[in-house]
Amino acid sequence: MFEDIPVDVSPMYEGERIRAANMFVELAGPKSMGAELVQVEENVEDGKIEVIGSELDAMQEGDVHPLGILIEIQGEHLEKELEGVIERRTHELCNYVKGFMHLNQRDAIWCRVSKEALEAGFKLEHLAKTLSTLFKEEFPLIESIAVTILTEPAMVEEFVSRAKEEYQTRDARARELSDEDVDVFYGCVMCQSFAPTHVCVVTPDRTALCGAINWFDCRAAAKMDPEGPIFEVEKGEVIDDVKGEYSNVNSVLMERSQGTVDKVYLHSVFEYPHTSCGCFEAVAFYIPELDGIGIVDRDFRGETPLGIPFSAMAGQCSGGKQVEGFTGLSLEYMRSPKFLQADGGFERIVWLPKEIKDSVEEYIPEDMMDKIPTEEDGSTLKEIRSFLEEKGHPIIERMETTSTETPEEEITFEEETSEEWGEMEPEVMQMAPVAYAPELTMPSSGGVKIIFKNAKVYAEKVIIKKK
Amino acid sequence: MIIAVSGKGGTGKTLVSSLLIKALSDTQNDILAIDADPDSNLPEALGVDVHKTVGDVREELKEDTARGRIPTGMNKWDILDYKIMESIVETPNFDLLVMGRPEGSGCYCAVNNMLRRIIENLSSNYDVIVIDTEAGLEHLSRRTTQNVDVMLVVTDKSKRGILTAQRIGQLAEELEIKFQELYLVLNRVNAENEEEILKKAKETGLEMVGVIYEDDEVTQYDIEGRPLVELPDESKTVKTVSGILSRIKVE
Repeated sequence: MFEDIPVDVSPMYEGERIRAANMFVELAGPKSMGAELVQVEENVEDGKIEVIGSELDAMQEGDVHPLGILIEIQGEHLEKELEGVIERRTHELCNYVKGFMHLNQRDAIWCRVSKEALEAGFKLEHLAKTLSTLFKEEFPLIESIAVTILTEPAMVEEFVSRAKEEYQTRDARARELSDEDVDVFYGCVMCQSFAPTHVCVVTPDRTALCGAINWFDCRAAAKMDPEGPIFEVEKGEVIDDVKGEYSNVNSVLMERSQGTVDKVYLHSVFEYPHTSCGCFEAVAFYIPELDGIGIVDRDFRGETPLGIPFSAMAGQCSGGKQVEGFTGLSLEYMRSPKFLQADGGFERIVWLPKEIKDSVEEYIPEDMMDKIPTEEDGSTLKEIRSFLEEKGHPIIERMETTSTETPEEEITFEEETSEEWGEMEPEVMQMAPVAYAPELTMPSSGGVKIIFKNAKVYAEKVIIKKK
Repeated sequence: MIIAVSGKGGTGKTLVSSLLIKALSDTQNDILAIDADPDSNLPEALGVDVHKTVGDVREELKEDTARGRIPTGMNKWDILDYKIMESIVETPNFDLLVMGRPEGSGCYCAVNNMLRRIIENLSSNYDVIVIDTEAGLEHLSRRTTQNVDVMLVVTDKSKRGILTAQRIGQLAEELEIKFQELYLVLNRVNAENEEEILKKAKETGLEMVGVIYEDDEVTQYDIEGRPLVELPDESKTVKTVSGILSRIKVE
């Protein structure tokens, strides 16, 4: 098929690197510029090959030149939405050519041609021809293809800015991709070495807790290494689209968590929250006194409204445990339109560190922006509460409507302390909890089990004695 | 062919690594030097400047990801691949990859997983790889690098140097890192301590592949901070290390 190409063309050359010492010229890359672009067009002249600008034989050894690769395709069933997927293959297919190195994608490509390839008579025209043949073979939907390679600086410059506009349009479309638009989510068990029952479920609306990988990354990884730690999870039947519960996600979770977790709500901290490995970027935690949710990230060194720092909280809800009222999350998830949607999203958030607030600013609903306090506005429950009241945070209304059914322990608490502290609210207590547990089972008898959720133990004095 | 050079800090690991690279430069091989010891100064010994390390790249990617700076349609593997390529120092005789600073807090599972694949692929493009690695064998145990063909453990006469050498042998076994060969290299030997040090070396149970004698020229280079690769070909130390290379059968 490649008789007229002077160098070998085969998948075995994928991953080939050309050292500076063995290189004839460098194209695009950090010292120059370049881009690649696939466009679905009308009236594409099939098999057309063109090189605009210098060919390799007109270049000097050691030169660095700009590079543009334009691939125009046409086909009855080709849609504009496929451009990105097809373009993604350029990297792999260019690398089939022995003596041609291609790294990365879009306007961040970096190519090199080896001295050996040049000596064999290789030209950019051959690269174009190879791409033309390989793309048609890989994608039968392509009926006609034309490949243009640009090395003329002014034209590459113009091409790069045109390509950038296309990428932006594409990204905007990709950002709109939501859980409803796909049938497949991904599971990741990369962290199971230290959290053996933790399975991360990655969906278009929910990136992995570590923040390192999103749905697109998982798709690429699962394709590259189907037996690897990242695998496909069919959604199955939608049980609750607001909470984010799916029948098959539950079954896969059951299987991959060694039978520990059999049900998960992807977009809530209540009842069946997503489990956490230990390396999440942030934790969402329920604050019972305010009926709201706080967020704290790994970089925040101070104390949270729960009276404990991130590290202590992380310790309690990590390790693959499902702990109601807590869920690990990535900062990117806070930019998702489904961010804790079952709990009310940002309208339920009553505290978060300033740094996170700034970084997700654009994603916080405008009318909520001034109503969510940070550590600068206060970190104790009293300070937060007065801030929320002052700014008219929606949680206040919520608290008022539910206050008729005040939990019992609070009543007891008030009774006990009322003489001493008069009119003060229970949450103004400035003592730090000596123990804190998201879930605490008390030893008991008589056929009942007493479980305290989000229990805090306060003591006037703690005595530690050697036995 | 992967040669790892290990040993307690200050025993002469970098001297051996850099002179191995010097000796290899005379062959037709494509050579990759990997500096996997955050405390080493292999770049200085090789006379090259490093602008970015793998550690820097790792932090950069994490930062960009956290700040939401990576376009939705871009693949992180490819971005990392590019950045790693960018961090390589390329010279006519060899390329150098510096691992750099250790990890900070947070999750490195995903990025390390990607890095392992990328560095494995990168390494497969070279004929000979020389790794200057710390005594804890961190990078080897985390499989940032593939299995090693030859492990050279460098020690001087110090008790701690010898103990470390012994421990590396055991550690390699425990971590199930497969070495084809494991050898001991003695450094800073002189007429007075020769007998004693050889005796101690024997006790480690490791096979000895070379003895480097105290060398005023090397000391002078160290004092002046001159790159060790610039030592003349006639230097006795350069010759000793070339000898090691032929004994471990690199053509």
